[in-house]
This record gives sequence, C-alpha cells and structure tokens, in this order.
Amino acid sequence: MAARRVGVSSWHRVLSLSGRCGRCSSTNTALGKTVENSEDAREEIVLPRRKTWDKLAVLQTLASTVKRDPTAAHYMFQDDPYLMPRNSATARLFSLSKESGRNAAKYIIKEFPHFFDKILAEPNIPSLMPEICTPQIEGVSEEALKERINLRMVKASVDLFDQLLQAGTPVSLETTNSLLDLLCFYGDGESTQEKESEEKEDLEESEVNASEQETPKRPPQRGSHPSASRWRENNSAERIFKIMPERNAHSYCTMIRGMVKHGASAKAYDMYTELLNDRHKADVHTFNALITAVPFLKDRFLERWELIKTFLNHMAQQEVQPNVRTFNAVLKTLRRCGGVGRSMAVPVIKEMEALEIEPSLATYDHLLSIFYRTVDLAPSGIISEVLDDVEKRSFTPQDPDDGKFFISAMQVCCDLKDIKLAYRLNKAMEKGDNWKFLDMDRLNLYWSRFFSLLCMMEQIDVVLKWYKEMSPSLFYPSPKNILDLLQALDAANHLEMIPSVWEDMKQLGFSKRRDLLEELLSLMSRDQQPEEIQLAFAKCAEDIKTVHEQSGKDQAPVEWTGSALGSVTVVFSRAGRTQDAWSMMEHFQQINRIPTDLVMDEFLNCAKQTNSPDEAIKLVKLAVSLGLPSSQKLKSRVEKEFELSENQKKALESIQSDSDSSDSDSDHD
Amino acid sequence: MKVEVTTKRKFQELKEQEIKKQATNEQEGLDSESSTFQNTAEDVQRSKPLNPELVQAASAVASSFPRSKEQAESELLAQLRRHEETTDKQRRGGTINIRNVISEMAVKRQSPAQRGVRISNRISLEMDEDGQRIKPGRSSSRSFDSGRSLKAGKRLNIFTKASPETENTLKTVSSPTIWDLEFAKEIAAVTEQPPRNGFEEMIQWTKEGILWEFPIDNEAGMDDGAEFHEHIFLEKHLKDFPKQGPIRHFMELVICGLSKNPYLSVKQKIEHIEWFRNYFEEKKEFLQEI
Repeated sequence: MAARRVGVSSWHRVLSLSGRCGRCSSTNTALGKTVENSEDAREEIVLPRRKTWDKLAVLQTLASTVKRDPTAAHYMFQDDPYLMPRNSATARLFSLSKESGRNAAKYIIKEFPHFFDKILAEPNIPSLMPEICTPQIEGVSEEALKERINLRMVKASVDLFDQLLQAGTPVSLETTNSLLDLLCFYGDGESTQEKESEEKEDLEESEVNASEQETPKRPPQRGSHPSASRWRENNSAERIFKIMPERNAHSYCTMIRGMVKHGASAKAYDMYTELLNDRHKADVHTFNALITAVPFLKDRFLERWELIKTFLNHMAQQEVQPNVRTFNAVLKTLRRCGGVGRSMAVPVIKEMEALEIEPSLATYDHLLSIFYRTVDLAPSGIISEVLDDVEKRSFTPQDPDDGKFFISAMQVCCDLKDIKLAYRLNKAMEKGDNWKFLDMDRLNLYWSRFFSLLCMMEQIDVVLKWYKEMSPSLFYPSPKNILDLLQALDAANHLEMIPSVWEDMKQLGFSKRRDLLEELLSLMSRDQQPEEIQLAFAKCAEDIKTVHEQSGKDQAPVEWTGSALGSVTVVFSRAGRTQDAWSMMEHFQQINRIPTDLVMDEFLNCAKQTNSPDEAIKLVKLAVSLGLPSSQKLKSRVEKEFELSENQKKALESIQSDSDSSDSDSDHD
Repeated sequence: MKVEVTTKRKFQELKEQEIKKQATNEQEGLDSESSTFQNTAEDVQRSKPLNPELVQAASAVASSFPRSKEQAESELLAQLRRHEETTDKQRRGGTINIRNVISEMAVKRQSPAQRGVRISNRISLEMDEDGQRIKPGRSSSRSFDSGRSLKAGKRLNIFTKASPETENTLKTVSSPTIWDLEFAKEIAAVTEQPPRNGFEEMIQWTKEGILWEFPIDNEAGMDDGAEFHEHIFLEKHLKDFPKQGPIRHFMELVICGLSKNPYLSVKQKIEHIEWFRNYFEEKKEFLQEI
C-alpha cells in the first residue's frame, strides 16, 4: 500500500530531495545542482550550489582548534596517569613499547588467522584483517615465480627460479630483473629478518643516543650502510646475474645498487665498468648509489672529488638528468672530504640552482656539517643564508636525511652562541609542516639544546617562561639542562627558586645524580640567605639527606661526599637546626672525611644561637679527635662565647689534655 | 709542491671559462677579476707589463661601478701589480707564507667572492693527505671564512638544463620496482608523527578505514549503483500484470515486501518479479478457467 500512496504528484518532490541528500561523495568536485520546485512555483527558489566536503574536512577543522597544552604530556601517553613518562628515557621507552604492542598484535593476527574468522564488520575493514601471505599459485611456472616475488619471499623465489631453469623453461628478462631487484634489495637475507634486525638496531641506537645526549658533537656516523647484512661472495644475486643469457641496463643497475647498499663498493665499481663496456646507460638512482659509495673507494680527498666529478660527467654524457638526491649524495660525500669539501660545496649548490632543482632539508644539513665541522671555523654567513632559504618554504620530505637538519642547525646555533639565529630557526620550524621532521627523540634533543642556549644567553625571566612552556609537554629536561638552569638562576641571583628546581629534579628522576646534587648543595650553602629562604633550603637539604640514606631494592644508597655533607651541615646550621647538623657531623667520621673550617664555624654559630653549649663541646671533642689544626681556635672560641657551667668547663679542659696526646697519633684518619 | 701547482691550474681552468663568458656582469666581473689575478700572475711571468686584456677588463669593471670609477680602476690595476710582484717574489723565494702576502695587500673593497676564491686557493695549497690538518694556518682562516657565501660562486658547469620536452620523452613509464616502493616508504616515514590529539587520531583512523566517515552514510560499503528510489518504488515493474484482481493484489504485496528488503540488489528484485511474471504466464491457462 505504501507504493500506491506515493503517487506521481510527489514524485517531483522526491526527486528534488534525492538530489539534495543522496549519498555523499568523497571527491572534491563541487556538484552544482539547482532544482526548481515545480509545485510552489510562485517564486523562483534558487538553491545554492551544493558543496561536497572531503571526508576528513570536519575532523581537520576540529583538530586545528586544539592547541598544545603546555602542562600535559604528549597525547600518545595520556592513558593512565601512572604510565605518564617523567623523563626522556622513559618517554622513549613507553612510545617504543606502545609500538611494539601494536606489532605484537599484528603478528598474532598474521600467524593465527583461523582464530579471527568470526570477526565481521560492516562495512568490512581491510586494514584490520589478516593479510594473505601464502602464495596461491602452485606449480613451477613463471606466474608462480612472479607471485612469490610480489610476496617478497626471497628463498622461495630463488628455489623456484632454479627449478624453472632446470626444467628448461626460459624465464623472461623482466621477471629475472624483478627477481634480481628482490635479491639485491634484501641482500640474501629474508624480508622479515631484515625488519627485525632493523628494529633491534633502532633500539640500540636509541640507547646509545640517550647516553650520548650530553656530548655537544653528534655521535659518529655509523657508516653510510645501515643494513647490517653484508654482501657475500657469490651469493644468489651474483649467481643468477652470471647465468642470465641476456642482460639489460636494469640488471646492471640493480646489481650496483644492491652492492652499494650492502657494502661491497669495490664490486659495485667493477660492475659499473662492465656496464660501460656493454655500452648501457645507467639511471639516476644507480649514479646516486655510486656517488654515496665514493668514500669507500678512495681515501684521499682530491681523489674522491675527482671520482665524483667523473661520475657526474658520465651522467651528463649519458644524458641522465640529476635530481635533488644526486646533489645530496654529492654533498654527503663532500662531508668526508675536508677542505676540498668546503671549497667545492658552493659550486655544487650553484649547479643545483642553475638546474632549478629545489634543495631539500638534507642539502642544508650537509652544507652545515661541511662548513661547521670543527668549532674553530665559524663563519656565520652560511647559516644565516641557509636560514633565509629555510624560512621561506614549507618543506616536503624528499630525502631520508631530511630529519637531521633542525638538530644540526640548532647545534650550530649553540656553538656560535647566537640566540637570534636560534629564534629564527624556531620560527622556521613552526611554519607549516616543518615540525613534522622532528620525531620524538630528535625533538627532545633539539629543545634540550635550545634550552641550554637560552640559559646561557637570555635573562632569567625569559628562561623561566620558556621552561614553563616547554616542559613537560615538548621536551624533558636533561641533567645538563638542569645544571644550566641552576647556573642561570645563580647568575641572576634568584636562588630562592632552588627548592622548586629540586622538586622538578625529583620528578624527572634525577634525584640520585651526584653532579646535580653537588651543584645544588653548593649553591644552597654558599651564601647566607634571608630567613624564609634558609628554612626552605633546610627542608630541601633534609630531602636530599633522605635520598642519601634510603636504598631501594637492588640499589645501593648514594654515597656521601665530603663537600655534600659539609654543605648540608652548613645549611642546617644556618637554619638553626642543631640536632640535624650534629647528626651530619657524626657522618663525617663514617665516611672518613674532614669537615672544613667553614662547617665548624657555622656549627658553632648555630650552637650559640640556639644556646646549646653541649653541642659546642661535642664539636670541640670531635675536632680534637680528628686532629684538626683549627681545634685550638675552636676551643678558645667556645670558652669565650659560651656560658659554660662548671661541668662543661671541666669537660672542655679535659679535651685539651687529650689533644696533646692525640697529636702524636693523628695519622689514623 | 706538485700538488699546489696542479690544483691551482685546475681552478684557473675553471675560472678561465668563466672569464670568457661573463666579462660584463658586475658581480661576476669581480670574480673574474680575482681569478685573473692568478691567471695573469702566471702570464706575467713571461711578459712583464700587465696584460692589456686585463687592463680592459679592469676598466670595464670600474665603469660598472656606481661611483668613483677612476679610483676603482686605479685601485684594481695597482692591486694587480702588487699581486704580481709578490707572486714573483715567492716563486723565487720558495717558502710560501700566505700570511705575509695577504697582510701586504691592503685592499679596501673586497667582494666576498674574492675572499672565497682566495681561501679556496689557500686551502688547495695546504691540502694534505687526509687527516693531517695544518694547525697554524687554521686560526687565520677565521677572518676570511666570514666572506664565504652561498650566493656568490661559480657552478660546476657539468650539466645543462634539459628542456621540458626532452624531460618528458626521457621519462619512461615502468611499474614501480621494489626499490621505488621501499624508498617511498622511507620518505613517508620521515615526517610520520604520532597524533597530537584525539582528532588527529580520528583522522588517521579514518584514512586507514577503521573509523566511519563523517557525515555518516548508511550506505557506506554497499555500492549497488542504484539509488534508493529504485529499491522502493517497484510499481513500474508491475506494468505487465493485470490491473485488478487477486494477482494484482498478490503482486502488490510482493512489491511491498521487496521494498523493505535491504539485502537484495535491485537486479535481484527485478528478477523476482520476472520470475513471478513467467510463473503466471505459464499458469495462464489454468487461471483463465477460473
């Protein structure tokens, strides 16, 4: 009956409705539909053109309204407050563990797909379904070989290829070339094996980076071949290459690229000469690979440059157009060419300009490392020009080395101690999509260096403003940063902020680091401070004392050093906490250290203020037992300044007689 | 000192090409000036007076200066002579002490390119086998490296820019190899960042297909190719049936049921109706009797 009711009269209305709210399309073309409503046709109703939005438009608009919260950690950690990272090491650990959890889940789905066949989602979500990894085509044929190559099964493809050859069926050149591609890329290892070893290397490298974060120079390059597998003598790729009945340029090129990738540079060069002998033309990627292998072929700087020029000339002869990666490879090799690099870098850049190739961030990174290799050569001309170029553009990634630019630029700014350049660099980084080039480790390093520079060069209020803004949302201060901050506070005479710095230190997990503790304590104990600050310092010192005394499971307690102990005593004394100060003094003997004169004097002052002559006498006893030269002075001071009862006077006298005898055996320390 | 001579010569060859091409450009003119210093220094060895070509070039440069043309010209020529003298001296003297040479030259106006070239020459002189850097020379380089700039300099002149047509013809379309695919992955990984807030996470999930697209479309994933009215308004398929009677009644009920069925495609629904039509056609004889 419903069908009958919807009669012809409202057919038009239905059409107009369908025109307006049919299925939304995900294309961006604006479909213009003006539909006239024929029923109420008294006035022309012109409906506006319908806009179609991208499926992500709403979400992107919403995302653009959310700014960074300076007090919160990164979004990926916001799950459980207990699991929020407190310093950079834990942040890296947590993000890696999150990623590894995802990988573990993917692995389970891949290995046991039969457990997941009842999952039905409508509409189906292909990215969450297990992927098909087993080849469907059986039998010995070229199609089967192609399928296995597509599935990246290295060993299976090689076996199948051998079987095909034994059976006598010729394999087409194209398929052989794609098999060679696969073999050269993976270098005889399996594809999953390479991924695992890469991940392990990433973890190791990140640990190395964490410990080397403090060194101003970047950690030494690991060589230009990141893949650990080496090119074995006469492996499958070479074998297949030799038995190929005919080879074209692609075969040579892929062999060269594979050899360079896996460290057999000399062989790559020989292969290249073979290619020339066969009068083939190499492609631009092969030349790029050869140029990156130049440092392994020659040792002397001039010879390296000559070889690079030879390759470039060959490129020009074979009419192969260079691209941005060619020039990046040239500059990368020039980094290892010392003085030649410095003189030839500018002509290379001019060549790029002449060919109208836009430099990528990696280009600028190589330039900076060429010209700013040692701290002595410091022309600031190059970096400001580089910054001029970088500020104008928003970059897209074109080279895997692009991400290193911001860090090396910030390092250069720190070496040059130029804060204005650093601000410019910061602005350039925040422009457009440039911030994406800094992943989490690099981000931390970048901001850590920037903060050190700020502490050195800027006023304290600017420093504190940046500090509040940046941590903990953008970066986690490193121990060096905290030291710099303390020094900046000292320089600006703002020592009252030290207790809050101590709180931050505890939160960051640096409370057991001896260098920081020393610095903190020495700053606290250096001068006499007004009353409240002194009390705050005393509380702080008490905290530190507990840190030294507690020992967590499997952790040895932090050992006291003489200066630390002395500083704590001084702080306690100045705050008038005599008992605490005395217990500190007793520690001295335990660790076999001698308190300085300052410590003794302060203690006496404190005892005088709190009117405890017993303590004073105990101090003199201690000084005498340690055989200090100042014990005599102390004794006389006690006699003069304190009101002593009879017993105490007698006790004081008796100490003196001890002192004569203790002089002789004062070498027991 | 074989190294010195050969590298010097190489740089000069490069510069000589430049001189021939760009003699009138002001900026490059200064470059060529500096290079002709070295060039003519050697030339002058053979002939004592200054090269007339050089003098011409000097006057050309001076004329392109905005002010004090004669002064510039005389300065340049004086500089040339001074330089020639010092190189003479050093050639005979044997020990090369760059510091003296440069300190003698009291040049007021020096373009950054000039300085850069001089530095590169110096570096070429001191270029040892790798790893052995000359310490004493390094400190004086500080004052000169400030002149090195990216803007002024010569190119290698190895490549020529290909015209767009040749570029297009050179591009041969081939399916992406494993190298290309992996490289694309590497490049994408450079700027990959974890999402910064919940909305970015939703964007990522939408791209992967995990989250539904907003505004919600309840026909997502079902691509029938037919609009909704073709599913619901099936009356037009009843044209061949009698207009009244129990058959019509029955078919209207069938159509009502089909219009509410979300699982069949339009084709299948039409097939259903067709089947009924065929069935009733066959049974027509029986029905006529009724």
